[in-house]
Amino acid sequence: MSRPVSIHQLATGVPGLDAILGGGLPEFSFNLIAGPPGAGKTTLAHQLMFALASRERRALYFTVLGEPPMKMLRYQQQFAFFEAGKVDDTVRFVNLAEEVASGRFEQVLARIQKEVEAFGPGLVFVDSFRSVLLEASPRAKGGLSPQEFIQRLAIHLSSWQATTFLIGEEPSASETQPVNTVADGLLYLYQSVYRNSMVRKIQVLKLRGQATSPGIHTFRIGGEGIEVFPSAVVPGDTEAGAPAAAVPRREGRLSMGVPGLDAMLGGGLPSGYSLLVAGPSGSGKTILATAFLAEGARLGQPGVLVAFEQTPSQSWSRTIDDLVRSGRIGLINTRLLDLSIDEIVQRLIDLIHRMKATRVVIDSLSGFELAVAPTFREDFRESLFRMVSVLSGLGVTVLMTSELEDRYADLRFSPNGSAFLTDAIIVQRYVELDSRLKRVTAVVKVRGSAHSDELRQYEITEEGIVIGAPLAEYAGLLSGRPMRILETPEGRPR
Amino acid sequence: MSSPHSTDQQHEAIRRALAHRHRDDSGSGAIAVASLGLWREVNARLAPMIGARGVDALFGRSLQLTTPAYPWLALAVEQEDSAAPLASLAARLEARDPRTAAEASVALLAAFTGLLATMIGPSLTDRMLDPVWGPAPEPPAAPKETTP
Repeated sequence: MSRPVSIHQLATGVPGLDAILGGGLPEFSFNLIAGPPGAGKTTLAHQLMFALASRERRALYFTVLGEPPMKMLRYQQQFAFFEAGKVDDTVRFVNLAEEVASGRFEQVLARIQKEVEAFGPGLVFVDSFRSVLLEASPRAKGGLSPQEFIQRLAIHLSSWQATTFLIGEEPSASETQPVNTVADGLLYLYQSVYRNSMVRKIQVLKLRGQATSPGIHTFRIGGEGIEVFPSAVVPGDTEAGAPAAAVPRREGRLSMGVPGLDAMLGGGLPSGYSLLVAGPSGSGKTILATAFLAEGARLGQPGVLVAFEQTPSQSWSRTIDDLVRSGRIGLINTRLLDLSIDEIVQRLIDLIHRMKATRVVIDSLSGFELAVAPTFREDFRESLFRMVSVLSGLGVTVLMTSELEDRYADLRFSPNGSAFLTDAIIVQRYVELDSRLKRVTAVVKVRGSAHSDELRQYEITEEGIVIGAPLAEYAGLLSGRPMRILETPEGRPR
Repeated sequence: MSSPHSTDQQHEAIRRALAHRHRDDSGSGAIAVASLGLWREVNARLAPMIGARGVDALFGRSLQLTTPAYPWLALAVEQEDSAAPLASLAARLEARDPRTAAEASVALLAAFTGLLATMIGPSLTDRMLDPVWGPAPEPPAAPKETTP
């Protein structure tokens, strides 16, 4: 029987990072943290180090920086993860400037070996590694080549049972090529600047023996340090196995909190469905969404609201405030304009779990698109698809609102073609009736369910949406200019 | 600067550390040797962390900050680019009366410590340099018990 070596994974302590690494960092691995200046490499290294360092697993941080180590310490200690009490106890900084200045890799290697043997670390960091190569290589004549140096370093540190991180620049730079080959793990950090917004991104380009999360993930650097937002992965997207049935949809239907609407939907919104409410400005989408959450709260079904609307009305604020304060709904209300969709999804998932929420409202997709950093807007539709899939994987019922332009000539439900993503659609429109601007609504689709096909007039009152009678005596309602159907002498429309 | 120790306490710790090192001899020569010893320890603690060049730069700046009060130290600043600025400092101290030498030495070390604290923060500074100054005096302790 073959017994493969079991590789212990270290929990990195960086929120979201373990998820994209496929569980954590393999112990004794030799890793490269690469990226252009200002990408957050040194911050990531420090955060990893302070999270992982302990009496049993001490950390040695070699500095060979472009920036003086004093400045590095000065700025890194601004982060909450920097524990001054660990310095010189479980964390030790060693400056290699002199050895590097000697221009000989042998001397650099000898110093690293000496310090490693003296301190016995379980974690070793070399920052920046590229400085070592750049400084030392042109002067090394007859000594070790960069390739040999790196290999010896890797062998030495791995046999010392140290998990190692080299911090360097671009992974494509020719001088770091040897590192890429030797490295077990390769994390690439960069900043993407588009128009006037900046978004930080991280990619796991390589991690031996682990199923990492592919793709580009975003991260943020705040007072606590780095937080990674793993890119939403569509559940059940493997070829084999049960498609998307991993999370069974809950049975039953949810009441919408608007009298008459449940009947139009064929008995309420099926649990686990996503519903798009499309309508022009002022048609009552937010009111409908609020009613949906309030009804959930009334029935003991907690909800989460992601609000992007800039000017909610007073009554809306009051209702939402009451629900939030009483802990029956969670609120993500953001005015940031450089969000990544993954960041929102991550916050949303966290909140859904925390609230044990079954109802989710995203109000509105148009506001969401505006809040997302411009660099993500091109992929907005794809990201929306991923988000809806992730939410449906969680088994929650989602209501999304979408601003609909008053274009009477064509019947569209969303500007970003999101209609096909959702299981159900309710449309709201303005029509002119007897020289008045009236609102009408209809259920356009409810996947796999019978539903009403009536166009119903509705009013917005203090109590919310009040659905009226079908407008059977009119034709051409959707054109915005309905005509009363003349009655025949027999009393039937003709 | 919000050090857990006040500047006065820090001064006191440095003064005590210096006095401790020349307790058998109160002459200027002994003070110079004791100062040199402290600087070597400071360097040994800090150079690995912030680099020898980092320590040198802070030392140079501390001398500059201390010279208004002790102008005769200025000569040491001018000789800073020599191979042994510390040897030069020792020579300056030795040439003064013991009280002035001790005062200047403490002032210089305190300026250095304060400067370091503005760079890397008071807690990290204390963490690195407190072992050099040694423990604060305690009431005479009972003989140590040996644990099995």
